[in-house]
This record gives sequence, structure tokens and C-alpha cells, in this order.
Amino acid sequence: MTRTAILIACGLAAGPVLGGLVSGLDRILTARMQSRIGPPVLQPFYDVVKLLFKEPLVVNVWQAFCAYCYIAAASIALVLFFLQSDLLLIFFVQAVGAVFLVVGALSSTSPYSQIGAHRELLQMLSYEPLLVLVVVGFYLETGSFKLADITAWPQPLLLKLPFLFIVLGYALTIKLRKSPFDLSTCHHAHQELVKGLLTDYSGPFLALTEIGHWFEVVLLLGVCTLFWSTSWIGMAVLLVVTYVLEVLVDNITSRMNWRWMLSYVWGVGLTLSLVNLIWLQQG
Amino acid sequence: MDLRAVLTAILVVAPFCGALLCAGLGTSKTARSTVVLVTGTVLIASALLLAPLVPFRLSATAFLGMDLHRLVQAADAVLLLIILYFGFKHRHLLIIALAVIQLVLAAYLEVFLVKGPLPTERIFCDHLSLMLVLIISIVGSIICFQAIPYMENHEHHYRVMKSRQPRFFFVMLLFLGGMNGLVLFDDLTFIYFFFELTTLCSFLLIGHDRTTIATRNGLRALWMNSVGGAAFVLGMIAAYEATGSLQLQTILVAPWLSGAGMYLLGLALLSLASFVKSAQFPFQSWLLGAMVAPTPVSALLHSSTMVKVGVYLVLRLAPGFIGTLLSESVAVFGAFSFLAGAALAVGQSNGKKVLAYSTISNLGLIFACAGLNTAESMIAGMLLLAFHAVIKAMLFLSVGAIEQHIESRDIEDMRGLYAVMPLTALITVSGVIMMIMPPFGVLLSKWMAMEAAARNLFVIVMVALGSALTVIYWARWAGTLMSDPFAGRFRPERQPMLTWLALGPLCAGAGILSVLAPWLYLRMIVPVLTSPYSPAYAVRGGGLVNAYGAFAILPLSVVALLGLVVAVIALKRAFRATIVSPYLSGIQTGEPQMFRGPMNQPVKAEAKNYYLDTIFGEARLTDWVNLGGGILLTLILGGAL
Repeated sequence: MTRTAILIACGLAAGPVLGGLVSGLDRILTARMQSRIGPPVLQPFYDVVKLLFKEPLVVNVWQAFCAYCYIAAASIALVLFFLQSDLLLIFFVQAVGAVFLVVGALSSTSPYSQIGAHRELLQMLSYEPLLVLVVVGFYLETGSFKLADITAWPQPLLLKLPFLFIVLGYALTIKLRKSPFDLSTCHHAHQELVKGLLTDYSGPFLALTEIGHWFEVVLLLGVCTLFWSTSWIGMAVLLVVTYVLEVLVDNITSRMNWRWMLSYVWGVGLTLSLVNLIWLQQG
Repeated sequence: MDLRAVLTAILVVAPFCGALLCAGLGTSKTARSTVVLVTGTVLIASALLLAPLVPFRLSATAFLGMDLHRLVQAADAVLLLIILYFGFKHRHLLIIALAVIQLVLAAYLEVFLVKGPLPTERIFCDHLSLMLVLIISIVGSIICFQAIPYMENHEHHYRVMKSRQPRFFFVMLLFLGGMNGLVLFDDLTFIYFFFELTTLCSFLLIGHDRTTIATRNGLRALWMNSVGGAAFVLGMIAAYEATGSLQLQTILVAPWLSGAGMYLLGLALLSLASFVKSAQFPFQSWLLGAMVAPTPVSALLHSSTMVKVGVYLVLRLAPGFIGTLLSESVAVFGAFSFLAGAALAVGQSNGKKVLAYSTISNLGLIFACAGLNTAESMIAGMLLLAFHAVIKAMLFLSVGAIEQHIESRDIEDMRGLYAVMPLTALITVSGVIMMIMPPFGVLLSKWMAMEAAARNLFVIVMVALGSALTVIYWARWAGTLMSDPFAGRFRPERQPMLTWLALGPLCAGAGILSVLAPWLYLRMIVPVLTSPYSPAYAVRGGGLVNAYGAFAILPLSVVALLGLVVAVIALKRAFRATIVSPYLSGIQTGEPQMFRGPMNQPVKAEAKNYYLDTIFGEARLTDWVNLGGGILLTLILGGAL
């Protein structure tokens, strides 16, 4: 009982703390790649705290509702991850958050929010099947969807699921809102869609979407660690390499359009997943 | 008298009596409404009383002193002759040919093939039948109740001089009786009669408005379902040749399994009939055409009950073809339908068509579950059947109410509906949420289906893609309904009492059923899981658990409820926040959506939804999807040989 409570607390804390730190490191790393110094590592926290205490302004009251639902679903998903629950269930719970974020953006009539929301839906369409297939890969190798069984697997899963790790990388790039898949909104100053999906979220509600995003990032990085769950060093190496690559890709590519994203991600992602899944089934 | 026999008789016969009364009472509105309300109440009460008495078998030999078998044979012949009459009336060669074929084949089966007296234990009700009886009697009756104010508005709107409601309610009630008969009888000849009866009802109801397009679509439904009927008779003949019986429960007992080609062919043909009834590709066009009918018809026949006949039959037949190529190909076919239906739904802006494609898609997933044919997948299929029936009925009724209010069924015209019809918009959005989100029942069954399908790569890939597409069209719709600059205070709109009495209980019922899913599983599904299946999930801590997966329904529901409470508090506080105009990249004029453009002129900012019809449009996909469906059907029939 106490163990469950501790795990829930860890889950709830890990999202904002780790997510904020990752975001701070991301900004420094990005700055260095662009020959800048960048903000202090705690800058994302300052930003979010400042936003939280701003006067609430809304375009449509349902945006407030959706922002809360988003952060609720994102945090529940991470808590379920810490409780070592069913991986497919965790995936569905995080999808709830993503849907509410989109519904909140659609509830504004601004064309920027609307188009951003539709692009976000297309991004979801691109990565969701891939995430499901990654989960299926875990099942085919370990015989279980439960995280407790997956983390107890004696060998690093990366050896058996190399392509699925790459596939997860695609999903991660989209989820982290990194180029070339940062169509709906991103952290950099792209011009054509203002802030896209998030255009009309402001003040405390924007802060909530940011914290919700941190929860999602930590969850996905957590899924990355499952590929080498047998050793702490392995996990750390995997995380650092993956994240540095994400930032690198973000800096050397430009934003593409959704047609390209959908055909490219489904084409490459599904092929790689299928090849890997067939190996697993035959092996 | 045996209570079970009485209840069974009431469930089948009472709607027929109600139907005759509706037709006989003429145009008196009060009398007709009373008959519909009383019949519905009787059905709901009988179904609930029947619930604790299942499973049972009963023999049924006579009805009002007439031999039951002869009676059904005669009724069957009359039914086919009526269809033949409509074929001649509309000069539709295909319908005539199919009706004649069915008459000849049925006569051949009954006169030449069937030897000796048939066993009289014709009624078989297990928990699967009970589930269908409950759906038909409760959801069906609620839909009929809502049809009373709906049809009043409908005729008012179309300025119908001579009310055609007696005929309308005659067919609606007749249909309820036919459906109850279909799921309560075990004898294939009886099932076939009721199967044809639902086809005829569907035809009459689709053509109800007597416009050119309604008649044409009705005829299309009739000929396509006649193909299903013909396949059904052929399947019966093959099954009788192989097993010497027409009792489903006898046919499905396994000894014939080893290499009996005829037996599998029979099951494949019966499955084909089911696919037509459930409007699977390439037979989807009749269901889409059926959307011209008044919305209660779409809710009753084309989402919650009649199309469920197909999946019900295949779920019944599944133990008969377990472990065969037929089973495997049914799974792939179903998953294909799931994917194709979802893709086509993405390309639609017509709300009713989105619902129709989504129905096809979900039925496809149930077929996939039946084809996967493991204990887990069967559980998923049955749960999905129940939840889908309730929620889809509710969504159809909401769209009907919306359509009568804004005079459009296009999703674009529903933009900002919350400002106009707040309560209906909220009910619709909760329906959408219950279709795609945990911890609700539809997602629970989808989760189960995915975990059950994980070892079948064809199926899981298609289900994963279809599931992502499903999220798009639902999320887009929900967002569009809530879209508005500012809705002001929440004040429910005016609607007829019966509309609220239909929407409210369906919405609440779907939510409560979802929370009670573990209990529903124990009470309704575990008893059906006899050999070769086993109760694959254990109920632990208010959730469903098996060796490789766990879904904590009750804890998640509690947490979700907490989240909802917090979000609602935030919503209430947001009413006090400053309301600002959406960002339009220019100086706003004070009116929402207007900004000052070049030359100081006001410009209206507008955005429409993405429907992606260059990729997912009907014009682009239909031919390919029909081809795919056709190929897979060939695989199914060929694989059975």
C-alpha cells in the first residue's frame, strides 16, 4: 500500500521535475548547436511559474476544461507507468490527453488554432499506429503487456527490437514537437502558423499544457528506457544518445508538410515495424 | 405455465400485436403513441424479467392451435412473395431473381431435403441471446419512444398531408418482434424467416419518405440483403447436408469438424449472409443509402439492432470453425473492414455518414474478434457489441435532434453548436468520448481486441491503423461542436420531453455500464464461455486481469471522475475569467472572427475542418475498398472449400 502511494507520488513528481529539466537541457543543447549560450537550465520552470500566475484569459471556457483534462490524462498515464501497469492501456490513456488538447484548440475559432489542431490530429495519426506496434513488439518478445513483466526480462530488448527502437524514435520526434515533424506547434519561431495548436491557450492554461507536455515527454523517454531495462548505465546511455540525436535532427531539418509526414512515417515506420515483428514471430 | 415460455412469447408476439394496433388505429395520434409506449414498456419489463431465467431451452410446437413449423413455413413463403411483389412493382430484375431463387431453394430444403419430423426444442436462450434481447427491447423501445416526437416534427417539416405514421410505427414495432424472434430461436428455418423479415422492414423504412432517392436506396438495400438471404438458404442446405440437422446448437457441436468441406462451406455461406446484413465491404453501400431514412430508423435498424444480427450470427457460429482457415480469413476480413470503414469516415463531413462508416468499422472489429476465435477476442467482441449498440443509438438520436433543429446534418454546420443546443451538444460530445476514451466500454473492448490480436500481424497492423483513424474523425467532430467564441451561461435548449427521456438514459446507461463492465463480464459473458472457450479474464480490484494484460476499470473510473470534477471546477471558474477574442493576426473589429484587413476593411476569418478527401474521400477509396473486400470474401469462401 505504502509502496503504491510512493510510486504514485514519484510519478506525479517525475513529470514536472524531470520534464522541466529535460526541457532546460534541451534549450541549452539547442543553443550550443546554434553557437549561442542559451538560458539557464531552470528557465522552463521560471517560464511556467510566471505563466501560472498570470491573469486567466480565455477565448472559450471549454479551453480551460480541456487544458485540465489534458494534464490529468498525461499525469495518469505517467503514474500508471510508474505503477508498472499495462503498456497498451498507458498508451490509450495518454491518447486521451492528446485528444483533449486538440479539442481545446478546436474550440477557438482562430484559423491558427484550427489548422494547428488538424495538423496535430494528423501527427497523432502518424505516430499512434507506430506506438501500438512497438507495444506489440514488447509483447511478442516478452509474452506480456504488463510493464512488471517487461522490465523483468533478463536481456536488453534492444537486441531483439532494434528496428522498433528506430520506429519509437520517429514517434518520439513527433511527440517532442521536433523538426521535421513540428507541424502543429513547436518551441521555435516558425512563422506560418504563429503558435499553431497553442495559439489561443494563454496564461495559466498555457502553463498547464506545458506541464502536460513534460509528463508526456517523461513517459516516452520512460518507454525508451524499456529497451535496455537490465542496467542503469544502459538506460542512461540510451536516453542521452536518443535525446542528443533528437536535438540534432531538430536543428538540421526544417518543418515539412503533413502529406510528406504521413507517407514518410507510415512508409518507413510500418515497414521497419513489420520486418522486426516478423523476425520476432519467426524467431 | 412456464414463465420463461410466457416471456419468450411476449417478447416475440407483443410487438406484432402493437404493430397491428398501430396500423389499425388509423391516424389518432394519442392512441398510436399510447400503443408504442405500452408495447415498449412491456418489452422492457419482459426482457428484464427474463434476465435471471437464462440459459434455457424450450420446445415450441404450436401457436394458437396451429403447428408452429407450418406457420413459419407459410409466413416465410408469404414474406418472399411480398418481396417478389415489390420486385415486380419497381421492375427490379435482381430482386425478382433473388426472391425466386430463395423460394425455390427454401422449398427444395423443406420439401425434399428435410427428412422426418424436426426436433421441437426450437427456443434457445443463452446469455448471448439475452444480451441481444436486452439491447433490442430496451434500446429499441427507447428509440421508438423518441420516434414519436421526431416523426411529428418530420411530417410537419415535409408538409405531409396524410400522415403515414401508422405505417411507420407498424413496421418499427414489427421489426422489434422480428429481432427478438431471430435471437431467441435456435432452428435455422425460423432464424431465416426473421432474417428476411428484418430485410423487408429495412426496405420499407428506408423508402418511407417516398422520394426518388429513398425508393432507390430502399431497393438497393433489398437486393443486397436478398443476396444475403440467398447465401443464408444455401448455407442452411450445406449445413443440413453435412450434419442432418437445422438446430444451431446441434450443428455447432464439434464432431463434424474434421475435414468436412460441406460443413465449413455452410458456415462460410452463413457468414457471408451475416457480412451482408452487417454491411461489410463490398456491401456497405446499402447502409450508406439507408441514411436517407428518418433518423430513428437509422438508430434502430442501422446501428444498434439489425446490423448487429450479422455479428451475432458469426459470434454464434465461431465455435464451429475454430482453428480453421475460415476463421483466420474472417479475422483478416473484419480487420480490413475496421480499417477501411475508419478511413472512409475520416473523409466525410456528413454527420450521419460518419456514423454509418463508424458502425461498419466497429462491426468489422467484432467480426475480427470472432475470427480470431480465442476466449479473449470473443469477450472483446461481445463487450463491443453491447457498448456500441447503446452509444451509437444515442449518437444517432442526438444527430437526429440536431438535424431537426439546424436543418443540416453536415459537421461544418454544427460548428459552435454548443451555443445553440448546449445540452444536445454535450450529450453528443460525451458519446464521442465514450467511443474513444478509457475507461469506457468501447475502448475497453478495443484494448482487449488488440491484445488478443497481437499474435496475428495482418490483423494487428490493420487494427492499429484503423484505431488511429478512428480518433481523428471523432476528435474533430467533438471539437467542432464545442467551437465558439463564447457561449455564455449554460441554459439547456427546449426539446420534446421524450427526446430527453431517450438521450438521458442512453447516455447515463452507457456511462454506468462502462463502470460496471467487470460485473457485466461476470454476469453476461462468463456463462457463454463454455468449451472451447474459457473465462480468460479474472476480475481483480475492480479491473479485468489475465496473464499478460490488465485494465483497472474501477480505479481508473474513479480517477477519471476526479479529473472530471477538477476540470469542471476549472470550467466554472473560467466563466469568471476575462473572455478575449481569438487571435487573428490583426486588429480586431470587436465582432468575433472579424479583423481589420487592407484598406481598413473588415475581413472575416474562417477555417474549416480537414476532411482529407484527396486521400480518404469516397471517390478515391470506394472502388479499392470494394475490391479488397471482394478479394477477402473470395478467400473466405474459397478457404472453406
